[in-house]
Amino acid sequence: MQSGLGVKAARVAIVVALFAIWEILSRTGIVNPRLLPSASDTLVTLGDLLQRASVRKDLVVTASEVATAFALAVPVGALIGFLIAENRYFAEVAKPLLFFAFSIPKSIFLPMFILVFGVGFSQKVGFGFFSTIFIVIMSTTTAVESVKVEHLTVARSYGATPMQTAFRVYLPSMLPVLLEALRISMIFNLTGVILAEMYASRDGIGHQIATWGENFQMKQLLAGVVMIAVIAIAFNELVRWVETRCSHWRT
Amino acid sequence: MQPLANITPLKPAGAIEVRNVGQIFKTTTQDVVALDNVSLDVKPGRFVVLVGPSGCGKSTLLMMMAGLRQQTSGTITISGAPIPEPDPNRVGVVFQEASLFPWLTAEENVEFPLALRRVKKDERRAKAQDALKLVGLDGFGKRHPHELSGGMKQRVSIARGLVQDPPVLLMDEPFAALDEQTRMTMGDELLRIWAATGKTVVFVTHSLTEAVYLADEVIVMSPRPGRIVDHLQVSLPRPRTYEMLSGDAFGSLRDRIWRHIRKSA
Ligand SMILES: Nc1ncnc2c1ncn2[C@@H]1O[C@H](COP(=O)(O)OP(=O)(O)OP(=O)(O)O)[C@@H](O)[C@H]1O
Ligand SMILES: [Mg+2]
Repeated sequence: MQSGLGVKAARVAIVVALFAIWEILSRTGIVNPRLLPSASDTLVTLGDLLQRASVRKDLVVTASEVATAFALAVPVGALIGFLIAENRYFAEVAKPLLFFAFSIPKSIFLPMFILVFGVGFSQKVGFGFFSTIFIVIMSTTTAVESVKVEHLTVARSYGATPMQTAFRVYLPSMLPVLLEALRISMIFNLTGVILAEMYASRDGIGHQIATWGENFQMKQLLAGVVMIAVIAIAFNELVRWVETRCSHWRT
Repeated sequence: MQPLANITPLKPAGAIEVRNVGQIFKTTTQDVVALDNVSLDVKPGRFVVLVGPSGCGKSTLLMMMAGLRQQTSGTITISGAPIPEPDPNRVGVVFQEASLFPWLTAEENVEFPLALRRVKKDERRAKAQDALKLVGLDGFGKRHPHELSGGMKQRVSIARGLVQDPPVLLMDEPFAALDEQTRMTMGDELLRIWAATGKTVVFVTHSLTEAVYLADEVIVMSPRPGRIVDHLQVSLPRPRTYEMLSGDAFGSLRDRIWRHIRKSA
């Protein structure tokens, strides 16, 4: 995706303008600064927070929960998705059920995760896993289906072994779809873990944000929001950058 | 081409023998008889074109010759031996459009069959270069398929089919997706490559003009269940020229094929 300099400048301008409006609304008192601290104050608070050992610890806790849930959900989901896509009977049975499961809001299961796991690391990882795995399964199924029959026939006609077919045809065919799946899965994963932290937790950045909110600490709350937004956007853009690098694979 | 004398001197490299071949597809609802008692002989180095109405089993027959599918009855031999599974040293296959891997460059696509057999990089590159040169794509090796025109893509496919120098080349509607002008040019190119390499070619098409223009022999098939209803010898001189298209000999051959096809419609 090549966008001109003008478009990029316009994007930056919009972000700057949003922060400027935020600043003005707060400084002029159009919005009560106690409800909406100014952008500059928020960024200063963000800097302070990042210096604090307790906040850093919360970030590490959240990051390890997110990473664990992701590391479990992606391979497990990919394996299930692959099996479903490769087995017609399995696919016919499981696909509608998966769609049912996917359409249910996952948050209504939060109380059950507390009952099963108690409040702690495994509850958050479990819920992150649960929030992520359905999208991974469905994306993998789509990815396998995106492998062209013609390409498989070519491989077969030149005597490819199953291993060679897997690595030289399946993997490269699926990679663009898988990368996109990875990106979207991470959004679900992050949402799941943070939601679980906000709902019931003793630590983690989600728990901090919930606490700041309850105590009307608006500066900290907004700083936390900015922090998580930046982290999420950074991961998303990283994967998107890799995606564009192999975008010609799609054709 | 080296004679494969060790197989059998009576059936030299490139000969295709199809004997009483049938193919029945068993589906959940019914059994589809795709081919019924098909027999034909292709001598080495001949250019044979298969025509027939859609669904008459041309692709199925080609798949069986390539070892990609096994016949329900009868026998098929290539260079004197049956072909229970694909054997790229005996048979190269060129598919209809979109069979190139979009994530590989033109030369990597051509090298693909060699890479599967773990041929060394240098040797692979050299052979791919030769094959690309043969199909007139010298200097285009580093491009990806999406950077090539339809005609160029099919040239790459042909180069991929030729890279292991098999005596037989099977082509299933390779030019179907091309516009008419490109298609004519590609026909001439294919004849040039064929003359230069001496391959046995079995070529499937829906274009009667293309069939007569390219072929030594045209085999006409009936609608399902596919049978051979005519086997024409095209005795037009070579090289074929554009002027021949409007000649009487050309016209009467094309009419004869058309009458078979119309009858079956
Ligand atoms: N895997 C399969 N299962 C069931 N029936 C099949 C299968 N493959 C092909 N057939 C049937 O066998 C018949 C011959 O198919 P084939 O693809 O060989 O025809 P074709 O002559 O190549 O047609 P076209 O000119 O449209 O390419 C068709 O009626 C088709 O529906
Ligand atoms: Mg066909």
